[in-house]
Amino acid sequence: MSASLRPVLETLTRQRGVRASLIVSESDGLVIDSSLRFGQDGERVAALAASVYRKARLSAKAARLGAVTFLQLDAERGRICVAGAGNDLVIVTVADVAANVGLIRMELFKALELIA
Amino acid sequence: MADDVRRWSEELAREPGSLVFLQLADALRRQQQLDLAQKVALRGLERHPHNADAHDLLARIAVDRGDFPRAREEWNAVLRLVPGHAGALKGLGYLSFQQGRVDDAERYLTGAAETDEPSVASALRAVRHASGSYATIANPPIDPVYLPPEPSNDPRRLFETLLVDEGQTALLLDANGLVLGGMYVDAQGADVSQEVGARLSGISDEVRRSTKYLGVGDWRSITFETRGAVVAMAPSEDGGLLVVAASKVTPLGLLRRLLDRCAARASAWLRSGASDREATP
Repeated sequence: MSASLRPVLETLTRQRGVRASLIVSESDGLVIDSSLRFGQDGERVAALAASVYRKARLSAKAARLGAVTFLQLDAERGRICVAGAGNDLVIVTVADVAANVGLIRMELFKALELIA
Repeated sequence: MADDVRRWSEELAREPGSLVFLQLADALRRQQQLDLAQKVALRGLERHPHNADAHDLLARIAVDRGDFPRAREEWNAVLRLVPGHAGALKGLGYLSFQQGRVDDAERYLTGAAETDEPSVASALRAVRHASGSYATIANPPIDPVYLPPEPSNDPRRLFETLLVDEGQTALLLDANGLVLGGMYVDAQGADVSQEVGARLSGISDEVRRSTKYLGVGDWRSITFETRGAVVAMAPSEDGGLLVVAASKVTPLGLLRRLLDRCAARASAWLRSGASDREATP
């Protein structure tokens, strides 16, 4: 499984400003595979991204808004983007504040199609 | 929405005299395609010069473009065609308030309030409050977000005057996910604040701790898209959370702006101590 997922993640990590890409199980926050630049804590990112995405999904369900397709967390010195297709797997990127989120979003959706 | 725009465009191409231009131009306005929206509305007006809804729509497009004189002109045209038109009175009330003409704003909104629309009543209270508190200030407040919320107001209506488009809703939660103010209303109009609050309970603190650990500093906002809406959240005082939702067609930039305005309102309200005096049932 990892062998086929790795190129998807490496393509994402090659985007300007992207520090890490991971495929994560939303239900338990465990890393399925990752492409990390030096110094990134993949497990912590995975746990946070899965938890936030899950809370967003459950709140959206409570409000009858439909499935969550994309989530973006902005912090002072970085941002985390998560895309999911509703099958427990989510793709996560950690990026610099200056990174092009529109492009990352597009690449995440492309990557989702590849791993679906 | 994209399908609707395509369908309405095709229908208009087949029948140029159709009133479908109203739906098409409004959809384009909501998508922030303001030049195109104005073009469609103007072409429609050429065929239907006495259509009040078309003038009303053109006024709203003008407001979105920041062309307030044009908006005023169009809403005055609406009132000439349909005296007492609630949309035009509301619009003129809004413009007058923006320009610091509080008495005019009150006059227009008093007329609009006769329609019994809750948002008008609320706006009118805000304007009346302003006319009492700010009348002697040389530069009256430009943006109603900075008006202090009324102390006796129902906390569920905390953000009401800021939520102008259909589908917009805002909710303020405490650190435990309990509702402090605002409401989260679903597409069917049901208040699902408590359920949403429960699902988001603890998110603010969890994200704060994690982002610090990851070395990316304090978190500023979380935005997510669903099949039917866009939702933005920001940390509030004392570990609380502000949640704002809008329809899917809302551009994310506009959603962020709405989030900022609601955050300013929430912050002023919390500082005023109103949340300690009143509790949401």
